[in-house]
Amino acid sequence: MGLTIREKAEYVGTFRGVRVYLMEMLARWVPTTPELEVKVLFGRHIWDLAQHADALGKRAFEIRAPLHYTLRPSEEYQRLLEEISGCQGTAERIHGFYSVILPGLEKRHGDYLAHTDSLQDEPTVRILDRIQLDDARMRRESQALLAEIPLRLADPEWPGRLAAQDSAVTQFVVPGSGVTLAREVAS
Amino acid sequence: MSAPTFPVKVVRGVTLRQDPAREPCFKVVQTGDEMFEMADMSETSRRERLHRHMNNEAGAIEIAAQCLVDFPDAPWDLRMQLARQCYDEARHVAALLRRLLQLGGYKGEFPIANYEWSVTCTLDSLAGRLAVQNRTFEAGLMDLLGSLLKKWREIGDHTTADMLEHILADEVTHVRFANQWIRRMAQQDRRVLLKVAQAIRFLAATDVAHSPGGAAQAPGVRPAGADYASAGINVEDRRLAEFTDAEIDSFLQNAGLSSLVPAKAGKE
Repeated sequence: MGLTIREKAEYVGTFRGVRVYLMEMLARWVPTTPELEVKVLFGRHIWDLAQHADALGKRAFEIRAPLHYTLRPSEEYQRLLEEISGCQGTAERIHGFYSVILPGLEKRHGDYLAHTDSLQDEPTVRILDRIQLDDARMRRESQALLAEIPLRLADPEWPGRLAAQDSAVTQFVVPGSGVTLAREVAS
Repeated sequence: MSAPTFPVKVVRGVTLRQDPAREPCFKVVQTGDEMFEMADMSETSRRERLHRHMNNEAGAIEIAAQCLVDFPDAPWDLRMQLARQCYDEARHVAALLRRLLQLGGYKGEFPIANYEWSVTCTLDSLAGRLAVQNRTFEAGLMDLLGSLLKKWREIGDHTTADMLEHILADEVTHVRFANQWIRRMAQQDRRVLLKVAQAIRFLAATDVAHSPGGAAQAPGVRPAGADYASAGINVEDRRLAEFTDAEIDSFLQNAGLSSLVPAKAGKE
């Protein structure tokens, strides 16, 4: 069974909420990360994330949600984001964002695409396709940087444990999180 | 201003935001007289200019990024501009580092200071930060680049001059969006102008404390450094950045260039 318009708005609003969170996370990391080349990497990707959030926010309005409709993800996914966001080490930040969060989001985009009508919901599909391309480029750029500057994880097993934690998240979008949608649109 | 919620430092009696993180290879200093600035265009001076500029651009990424963090409720379109600024400044850092390495320099070769970050990010209003960082520091960089381009071309280094020309184009965009948003915010709430005035006063007071002779600088005109002192007002780019003619006239007068200000009609 396909997704209803309200469910689509919940997904789009949640995808947007995560993108805004990640934009702010990289922004917080820029002044607190010592390595110049890493500041550059994060600075460039802040703009990618902002553009993703912008496109999703405009799409939300097209599916009867408020402009730039934004939802928090489930608590268990939010906890994962916060754990990575709180990292102090540069290597942990890079691995946490590029090797755990982005691949996890790729899978969630795939789940959405598998459940939506690619013709009727083609504008969302195209936005997610572009985001996937950008995410892949961002990951490549992070790998190129890691090959260039020596950064070591304090615990090499840490990204693997986090990735497993991400895979164990059973719920990404909070069902019914868009219940206030009608009221917000009316107001 | 409200009490700071971030780590601070006190420099010459002024409380400022603590420096952003830097690699151990850098020697971070707090005042202009600890920097290594040369007025000529010797090879060492060229590398020092690129090195100093690179760190200032890193500071510009950090300031725009910190605004995204500190003002989550700012209008989304303004946040988009700040995010874009992060991207632009990041590319500037990368380009300057690449050129520095090509000229035989390296990270940490000269002392660096994070004055712009420390002043701007001490301010508690977004309008104030835009007024100080974009409308003053970056507008000052527009003036500086306008004259520096000629210096680099005169010594035959067109690669560096071309790079600086690209940077200048981006800075015009950053100054312009700040001008546009400050006007828009002030139209909605005139108290924003008080925040802007407060920010400019804070900058002026900090400049005085940091100047060797304790001299106040004219608002909107950058202080300190031989290059800044000799740079003229970049009228063409200030127009592109949407400073009004009256503001440009004021900058010219403050820079001691009153003779260049057109006489008003009927007073000739």
